Amino acid sequence: MTSLLAITAFVRPAVRLQRLPVELVVFVLCNVLCVHAAHAQIAPYESVLAPDSGKLPLTAGFNDVDGAGGAGLVPWALITGYGTADSWGANAHYTAVQLRDFRLRSYGVAVGALDRIELSATRDVFDVTGTALNGLSVAQHIYGLKVRVYGDAVYDQDSWAPQTAVGVEYKKNSGISNSAAVGLAGLVSPTQLGALSDSGTDWYVSATKVYLAQSLLVNATLRYTKANEFGLLGFGGDRSDSRSVEFETTIAYILTRKFAVGAEYRKKPHNLGIDNERAAWDAFAAWTPSRNISIVGAYVSLGSILAPVTKQSRDQNGAYLSLQVGF
Amino acid sequence: MVPIFLFKWDFDSLCRLEKPLNTCSRFVALVVVPPLLLMGGSARADKTLYEAMGGETVLRSAVAHFADNVVADDRINFTFAEANMDKFRQLLFEQFCNLSGGPCKYTGRDMRTSHLKLHINNAEFNALAEDLYIGLGQAGVPYRLQNRLMALLAPMQHEIVNR
Repeated sequence: MTSLLAITAFVRPAVRLQRLPVELVVFVLCNVLCVHAAHAQIAPYESVLAPDSGKLPLTAGFNDVDGAGGAGLVPWALITGYGTADSWGANAHYTAVQLRDFRLRSYGVAVGALDRIELSATRDVFDVTGTALNGLSVAQHIYGLKVRVYGDAVYDQDSWAPQTAVGVEYKKNSGISNSAAVGLAGLVSPTQLGALSDSGTDWYVSATKVYLAQSLLVNATLRYTKANEFGLLGFGGDRSDSRSVEFETTIAYILTRKFAVGAEYRKKPHNLGIDNERAAWDAFAAWTPSRNISIVGAYVSLGSILAPVTKQSRDQNGAYLSLQVGF
Repeated sequence: MVPIFLFKWDFDSLCRLEKPLNTCSRFVALVVVPPLLLMGGSARADKTLYEAMGGETVLRSAVAHFADNVVADDRINFTFAEANMDKFRQLLFEQFCNLSGGPCKYTGRDMRTSHLKLHINNAEFNALAEDLYIGLGQAGVPYRLQNRLMALLAPMQHEIVNR
């Protein structure tokens, strides 16, 4: 460290000024590492920079379709990754959902730090695989931030209070691609289907509690949103352009240390006249063979999607499969 | 006050019964109600947890397995390098027996005092919990009952993790 600083002293002042912030960061990081390394004989997990993979299996949760730590459709108040309050963790996920006439793929990365802050970046790709619109595809980017505000879902068994977190998700629609040229020439954006914007921000508050004596996990989320079909069909519309508060919930029964089954419900707003948007729900089984891998399988229903356009009003039900790897 | 308000607000808007069985009412019937019954069911259990787990024989066996797991666990065994494991097993048995409604008195020190010098961090505490889960399983305690015992131990996290 000393040598690094010594080198900068000999560089021309202008260059040194440019370099200073980077080195300041290096300096601070090194100090954190070195100071903690000095106590290494006490315990192996001393530095906050070393991942500790210290949470109990299942308690890192999974990644929902928006990329946030949660189950399949609903974000939990738990911070993603297996890092405890002393450390950090991260994961990547790939989720595929095959519905009757649509297919959703979601992939992304998420980082959880100090059991306090969660950052996520996810891409959703939504393909039409049936009906007259077969060949259309729409995608979006989702950037999420979640902060745990209060409590611990697992330890606080002597309190009624759940672990509580607030989150924000910025969603940017990447537009519609029409590779099969299905006869809707010029359709490139959900705004042409009635959405008033191709980007939007969701706010949510989640409360999660593990009722350990009953082997139950209960989560309730309130989301303040104007996203149409999670944002895949844009934001706001002819029916409403203001955000509404929507209720979401997960209830899971923990069967073993590594296996749980549960169900979810997620209410969605109905802003687009062209889409008879309904609530989504699923029934899932989640398995965490180790802290490095989680698999979630589910039967999911997203309700009717774009029925007036596709001339297909049946509920879009199907299989959900998600793989999460991380630490 | 607030939870009652939320509940009322939410199911008023949620369960507008358009059809006899809409998504919401199905969800409430299939997903929300069974856990509530489950919670009610476990609350009126007449046996103590101690008896349900199998009493002294099973609990002593669980504690013995737990001690073996801890000693074999590189994440935390250095914490036990100078520990008297016979005393550890005895005190642990007393504590679990006492907590689960058995006829025992815990004669050890309180959790904060006994762990102060060990500097247990979160990962180590969780490793300990994991070894206990495994030990209880090895002694034949069903997972459902393991969790009932863990529910009694979990709040001690705040006293044991002192970093």
